[in-house]
Formats: sequence, C-alpha cells, structure tokens
Amino acid sequence: MKQGHAQGKHKYGMVIDLDKCTGCGTCMVACAAENNVSVRSDESDKERSITWMQLYKITNGREFPDAETSYFPRPCMHCDEDGRGGHHPSCVSVCVATATKIDHNTGIVSQIYTRCIGCRYCQAACPYDARYFNWWDGYFPKGKGLERYLTPEVSARMRGVIEKCTFCHHRLMRAKNQAYAEGRRDIKEHEYITACAEACPVQAITFGDLNNPSHKVAQLAKSPHAFRLLERLNTKPKVYYLSTKDWVRKMADNYLPGEFKRVNKATG
Amino acid sequence: MELNRRNFIALILGGAAGINLTPLPWKLMDDVAIWTQNWPWVPVPPVGKFTEVNSICTLCPGGCGIKVRKVDERAVKIEGRTDYPINPGGICPIGMGGLQLLYNESVRFTRPMKRIGPRGAGHFIDISWSEAFETLGSRISKLREEGRPEALAAIDGNPMRSTISLMIERFLKAVGTPNYVRVPCLEDTYQMGISLQQGTEGPVAYDLENSDFILSFGSGLLEGWGAPGRIMNLWGQIKGAEKRGTTSVVQIESRASNTASKADKWMALKPGTDSALALGLAHVILKERLYDSEFVNSHSFGFDDWRSADGKEHIGFKTLILKKYSPNQVSKITGVNADAIISLARDFAKAQAPVAIYGKGKGTLNGSLYEFMAVQSLNALVGRINMPGGVLTTEPIPLSPLPEVNLDSIAQAGLNKPRIDGAGNAQYPFAQSLINNFADSIINAPTSSIDTLLLFSANPDFTFPQRGIFRKALKKIPFIVSFSSYRDETSNMADLILPDCTYLEKMDDVVWPIGLQYPFYGLSKPVVKPLYDVKNSGDVIIKLTKRIGKTTAAAFPWNSYKEVLKDRVKGLYDSGGGFVDFTEDNPPWKSPGKRSDPSRNYSSFGEMWNKIQTGGYWYRPIKKYKGWDNLFKTPTGKFEFFSTRIEVAASRGSSENMGVKVKGDEACMPHYEPIDTKVSRSDHPLLMVPYDMINLSSSWTPNPPFVLKTIFDNQLLRDKSFAAINPKTAVKYKLRQGDKAVIKSPAGKAQVLISLSEGVAPGTVWLPMGFGHTAYDEFFKGKGVNPNDIIFAGKDPLSGHAIWWHTPVQLMKV
Repeated sequence: MKQGHAQGKHKYGMVIDLDKCTGCGTCMVACAAENNVSVRSDESDKERSITWMQLYKITNGREFPDAETSYFPRPCMHCDEDGRGGHHPSCVSVCVATATKIDHNTGIVSQIYTRCIGCRYCQAACPYDARYFNWWDGYFPKGKGLERYLTPEVSARMRGVIEKCTFCHHRLMRAKNQAYAEGRRDIKEHEYITACAEACPVQAITFGDLNNPSHKVAQLAKSPHAFRLLERLNTKPKVYYLSTKDWVRKMADNYLPGEFKRVNKATG
Repeated sequence: MELNRRNFIALILGGAAGINLTPLPWKLMDDVAIWTQNWPWVPVPPVGKFTEVNSICTLCPGGCGIKVRKVDERAVKIEGRTDYPINPGGICPIGMGGLQLLYNESVRFTRPMKRIGPRGAGHFIDISWSEAFETLGSRISKLREEGRPEALAAIDGNPMRSTISLMIERFLKAVGTPNYVRVPCLEDTYQMGISLQQGTEGPVAYDLENSDFILSFGSGLLEGWGAPGRIMNLWGQIKGAEKRGTTSVVQIESRASNTASKADKWMALKPGTDSALALGLAHVILKERLYDSEFVNSHSFGFDDWRSADGKEHIGFKTLILKKYSPNQVSKITGVNADAIISLARDFAKAQAPVAIYGKGKGTLNGSLYEFMAVQSLNALVGRINMPGGVLTTEPIPLSPLPEVNLDSIAQAGLNKPRIDGAGNAQYPFAQSLINNFADSIINAPTSSIDTLLLFSANPDFTFPQRGIFRKALKKIPFIVSFSSYRDETSNMADLILPDCTYLEKMDDVVWPIGLQYPFYGLSKPVVKPLYDVKNSGDVIIKLTKRIGKTTAAAFPWNSYKEVLKDRVKGLYDSGGGFVDFTEDNPPWKSPGKRSDPSRNYSSFGEMWNKIQTGGYWYRPIKKYKGWDNLFKTPTGKFEFFSTRIEVAASRGSSENMGVKVKGDEACMPHYEPIDTKVSRSDHPLLMVPYDMINLSSSWTPNPPFVLKTIFDNQLLRDKSFAAINPKTAVKYKLRQGDKAVIKSPAGKAQVLISLSEGVAPGTVWLPMGFGHTAYDEFFKGKGVNPNDIIFAGKDPLSGHAIWWHTPVQLMKV
C-alpha cells in the first residue's frame, strides 16, 4: 500500500456545539465581513449566494406543538487525508490547476484564486456544498462606497473562480507574524481563532489544534456527543459537531432503518 | 542556407516545437490567467497601519461593546469586545455588519437637504447648514411669535433615559410645546407596570444570571430582547457543559421561535392570552399553597379581601384568581393543556431562584400593561421581588440632572395646552406619550394642529403598527424635519433634512440597557471622523437654540453636546463607587460576597471622564439587596396586587373610559380580558401575528446587506416574503409550499408566498417584521411585505398603546 504523507504538526479544527447554537447568523456575517465576501442585491438565490459559513435549519419533523428546530452552521470541513493511503480531500484530488491544496502542517485546505480556472470540478466533488463559484465580479457598485470597508488581509475575488472558507488563514499568518516578532516559534491557542468562532455570541464555536491535547477542541472532539457530517464517506472532516439530541445527530448522515445508534434517550 | 519550401516548413515546425521547450508559453498562459482575473473594477483594498478602536454599538438600546479594526482611517471590521461587562465578546449579526451602514452612501444623507419633489419621492437638493438652521430656526421663532409654540412636535425614537432624549425633551420644553412624543417600546410597558405595582420609576431589572428557572412570557430572548449580547452570552453559559442542566428556560409563545425551540420547554398558547396563563399558574400556586406567605403578608397589598376606609368590601387577588383562573378555565382561554399548567406552576414555584419575565419579541414595540402586571404578580406571589435571581428593585442611575429650564410667558402658555395625544389625561392616565393617538388626532382634525414635526431616530412611516394611519397624518403636517442619518421612509416625507452622524461617527451614551440588573452607563466614541457633512443631533439642537435665542438659548448654556454628556457623567462620579474597568471573572451580576471587587482605579473626575470618553463605561455591581423599608413607593407602601392608583384614576373618569371592559375591583388587578377587535371573525377567521428575527432589524435603523445572506429562502425569495402557516391550515385553504396568497385585513392587504411550518399553530399566519421597505437601496427596497401594512391595531386597555400582536385576517390563494 502507498504511504500517506507524514502526519503534520498541527491539525486545526473546529467544534460546533449545536445545543448552544441559536441560529442567529452572526457567524455568517462575521465570516463575510472578515473575508470580503460581496453581497449581491438578491441573496435569496441560494445557489448563487456566497456564504463560506452557511447556516442550515433543521426540524425534527413532528407536528405542532412538538416541532423542534435546530441549526447547523457549516463552514468548509477542511477534510483530511484518510490515513490509509494518502487520499486527498475530494476537492483537492480533482483540481486540475492545483488551485486547492491541503497544507500538511496545518491541515488547512487552501484556495488560490489566481490559479483557479473556474472549471467547478471541486464544487461538484465537495459533498458539503462548501464551495462557491463567482458567477460575477464582487458587487461593489460605483457611487455607493461599499468597497471602503474591505480589508487588505483578504483579496477580493473576481468572476470565474471558486472560493470557500479558509479557516481565516490570514489570521494564522497574523498570529505567526506576531509570534515571530516576539521571538516565538509557536502560537498560543487563543492567538489563532477564526472570525466565526470569535464572533459567536453564545460561544458555540471552538477553534484550535486537534493534535494538541491541551486545546479545548481536542478535548471536545472526543465527547460522546461529538459527530461529523457524512462521516462514513471517509472524508475525515476537521469540523466536529456536538449535540445531546439524537434527532439532530441523526441528520448528520444517511442511515438505513435501524442503523443509527442513539447515544442517550434525549428527545428525538 | 537556401530558403526553400522544405527548410521553411522545418523552420516553422522546429521553431514551434522549440518555443514549447522554453518557459514562454507556460509563462504566458499563467499571465493570461492572472490578467483575466485582475480587472481594474475588482477592488484592491489599500494597505495601511492596523489599529483597533473600542466603542459601543448604539444600533439598538442594548449597548454591546464593540472593537473596530481599522486600516489607517478606514474601519474594516467590527467585533465584540471582551473587556466589557454586558457582552464579553459576542455581538448580534446586525451589529456585526454595521460598517455597511456607515459606508453605504446610497442609504445615507450626506449633507443638509431640502425637498424638491413630491413628498415620499425622496427628491432633495443640497443646502448649507446655515440655511438649514435659518429655515428651521425662523419657523420655530415664528410659531413662538404667533403664540402657538405647541404647534411644534417631536417624535423621538432614542432609547429611554438617553441624554439625547433628554436634550430633545428639554428643547421642546424651552420652546414651549407639550407635544414631545416617544416611539413606544417594551420599556414603556415595564415602566407603567412597575410604577403602578411598585411605585418606582424602574428600570425593571431581571437578575437572569443568578436565576435557575427562567419563565419567559413571549420575550424573544434569542430574537434580540434586552441587550442581545448579554442574553446570548448567558445562553452560552447555561447551555455550556459546566452549567448544563442547572438553569431551565421555559418559553411561553405561540410560535416555535428560536427561543422556543432552544428553550428546555416550549409551551404554545393562543396569541394574546399570556395574562390568562400567568394567572392560571398563580391559581395553582395559590391552591397548593406554594406561594411565599412571608412576602405576601408583609410586603403586599390587595392579596386577601379587604375593607377600605369608607367601609366598602373589596375582593383580593387571591379570591379573583381562585374564582376565575382554574387550570380548566385557563386551558379554554389559552389552549394549553390543564395538566401542563399545573406541572409548570409546580416547577416554577419549587425552583430555588425562579423568575418570570415579560416581553413581546425583541421589545421594539410596546407590550400589554395588564399582561406585564400579571407576570410581575407571579414573581411577587413566589416572593421573587428584590431577591437574587429574581426581579431586583432599582433606583435611577445617578447621572446629574440638567439644570431647570427658565420658561418665558410664551413657553409657559404653550406648555399649559393639552397634549394632542391625550397622554396623562383622564382617559390615558398612565401613558407618557401615545404616538397612535398623535396620528389619530391629526387625521381627525380638519387641519393639523401640528405645524412642524421633528423626527429623531424614528421611522414611524415604517415601524408604526397600521402605518397607513401614520402616512395620512404625515401628509397633513405642513412641515416635517428629519434628523435621521438614513434615507428612510419617513425622511422621504420630510421637507428638511438635518442629518445626524451614524453611530460609528459620534459620541453618544447608552444608559442602563433594558432588563439589566445593575446600573450601567456607556459612552460610544467616534470610530471614524464623520465621512460627510453631517452633525450630531445633540450639537444641532444647541446651535438651533442659539438661532431661536431668548430663554430657549438660555436653557442650553453648553457649547457642544459633549459638554452636556460630561456634565451628566459628573453625577456618576459624585455618587461615589462604580467601576470603569472590567474583568471577565468578576462580572457585575455576581452575588455580593462572591465577588472580589477591584479597587476604584480613578482618583478624580477628570481621570474618570478620560477613561469613559474613550469608548468606556461605568457600572456599579449588585452590592446588596436593600431592606424592605421604603422599597415600594406605592400609596400603600407595599407591592400592590390591587393598584390603588388605578382605583383613583377609575373613580375620576371610569375604567370603561380607559378601555378596560371589566368593572370594579377586577379592573385594578391584573386580569385577562378578550380584546374586541371590532372585526367580524367569520369574515376574518385567521389571526395574523408579526414576528421578530435577530438577524433582521425592524426598527428605525436600516439593515446591513450582509444579513440578507442569513435569511432563508423560505423567508424571502427575490422580492417576496413568506407567511408561515401550519400544514393543517394550508390543507384547508388548498395552499402548498411556495404558493402565492393574499392576506387581507380591514387595514390593508399584502401578497405573500406561503411557507408551511409545524412551528406555528393552525389558524395563525406569521409574518416577519423588517421587510417591506419602500425606501433605501436595491438591497432592501421593495423586498417583502411589512406586517404594519396589515395590522389593524386595537388599543391596549389602560395603557392606550397599540395592540399590534394579532390581527384577524383573511387568506386567499392567488
């Protein structure tokens, strides 16, 4: 069997507590503002609307007044190699332009806009719909001045390229620069967190290094209530979810009757 | 070499092959890829020096702390701020997108303007500030010269207690008009209720952080109620691993809102029956003797039957509740199962530190006075007033009052005229102001008695329930002046625009956000210099009084609004105590004894002011729960289940006149009475209920376009918004998901798309608030419907405010 890449030093990941998440959408706005995602006048066309962080609403399917709602915030899962022969994340394997890569030192799946040729193969390959195609240039009409809030840390995209969540990679760069300036080689847990994790007003999102047992994410990911989306595709997402509710966990994958294992007898 | 055909071909082919061996074609291909992606119209944000500025968000009265990242002079990102007591770190989606309000030139007024087109069209031309001051100043002076200063009115949508509100009220007083009208919000209801039952000014302080059982009657805790940053932070804590299971939240609401869905328990009731349910719980608590007899006997009035000085027998709260609110009776009114009422009452009464809170969604509109009183009585019954984790009693924040205004004879005569909204008269004795009556009285008079209307932080043409009425009133008012920063609906009806700075360009204060349990004062600082030729309305008022002169000018001895703020803050210093620093492990709500308070880290007022004016704050942690003597300032000196002030007011006029249907003693106590909507229910069989969303502003501020990303496509699709109905209702009306339908009420009609939801009760139609703008730009203009177009507002008994929370409607498939 082919040997996979050597295990990298860091493996950045995220744990999202769905019991805490209130579906307010602050993560989505924080993400769009942080990463210069433009807003078009019609964002209700969800196939065209660009949302690196996307909130999905789910219901338990029961009748009034037993109906229950929950939310799934969905960033890019930053899928990993499967550890059994170096299979890349599904988007990385299909990219013909090497515009998307997985960094073995951080586990972050990158997207390089100027390399992207816009074939949308990766978009089709992604099982999580986490990739977005720019059908148009960013919407910054003349005379409005909306381009004035753009941050220089993330380049604005042009039409014809794919974009997606980068785990706020520029924040990692910022933290690294800061650490180097202070003569350190390593960055601390709180120095690098994504915009969504920082913004979440209920602290439902935790971000950190899954390889570092002292990081909170590494501990939370081991919770009996932790799960990942479509886990059985073997995409090895680095985004974990927590929920004490069986009906919520059941939504994370497609189960045959009798296949789903309950963790406890929480509502369902 | 001879150039023959053979060599020529060899040269071409060889050359072509050779070039391919060089990097040239690959380099060119790469360059083409880059060139075709770097168009001059794709913005390249300029680099610069990164800095961070701390301030306070004043988009809503919540007053969350924000940290703004700047690149040179440009603000590029808003984030929550951790060195801040209300919201250590988190903010709401609207605040997060705030830069789109600052930098979107097409929703802002950039300089003073006057109208040139027809009203509502939004056509204005630029004028200078001196012309603007001259126009308005001479108009007000003329009204005073004519001896009718009361023809000036103002509508103020700034938060209660804010210094800018105080300035506006003072300005109107100095000119000599009683017609200062506030945009009603939930706090008006709180204040009326608390003054009737406890005799204090408030504010109402819910000690949620120390409670272990939060029973919420309709408060949109996760929809933006109170200070959203505070509530969400609390939510994260009680749902977090450490505290999980130690605090229960029960939401009583007709729809599966985010709060209802995320609460430990959701109890769905018929819209508008909250007081019946609260009193039903009281019934169980009384019957099973679960109430706090110590509090009830020592500190309350009107609990048992009593005899007044004139020898008349009166029924008490206990008798009323036991007679009229048994679980079965309440079940019939509310639609909630009787067993569920009994078990909820037991859980509530047996909890260590329960608290019942009252609200209507976000609280940007008023609530019902009797409903608040019913919920507050529930707190009193289990002895949760003035207790940790309950409802704390408060004293006003010790800000310095502004000096008395010296009135001249014109002003005195004007102030003696009755208010045109009737607030405070025999019919509406407890309301401070009534914007609905203001509109009615203008419409009903042959000519408007108001000549000039000033609008501050208010957009009633959008936010007013049954807004068609307000539009009619606006059309009749000869001269309208808007101080709004934004090109909103009401400003488009204005004749003169004196634009305020946006919230990120000015200094302004946040005084004790709604529901907070400790006194808090925050001061926002300008994050960027004003981008345009706009001025803080506080400064504009001062300048305007200089133009009007005489006693009006004398009432405003300051040179700038900042001086006023500083004068007020002096009171905080003089009161002694209070902190201007915060650490996360020492939150102000922590019970006394468990805190280790930092020492006061300022020695002079100057030092304190310097800290506060850089986007700082002042607060005083909960110290100790004061004793019971003089706690309640009611005529009886006790918590009044039976309000003696209502009794006095009813004896002067009549309770019927105040809109109360029940008679006698019952009218003085919290009770449930069905609202007569004066609409035939057989023609209008469904109830339309508007609902709030945390990611959509329904107030006077516009929405940042970013929030459009968070709106689901079963809430808004292109320019149509959805009404949510239960699948059972849909079957009855032969409607399917996505069908077009018309909702019709006596006030108007609107076309919507249908969304099926098991989260709403059969027989109800739910519309989101915040869509349906006719102003602003392509992001929000013409998108969706505004429920205020359909709301057919009744009058809340006793308070006189609008009943906006349900309207009988027809639903028709298109």
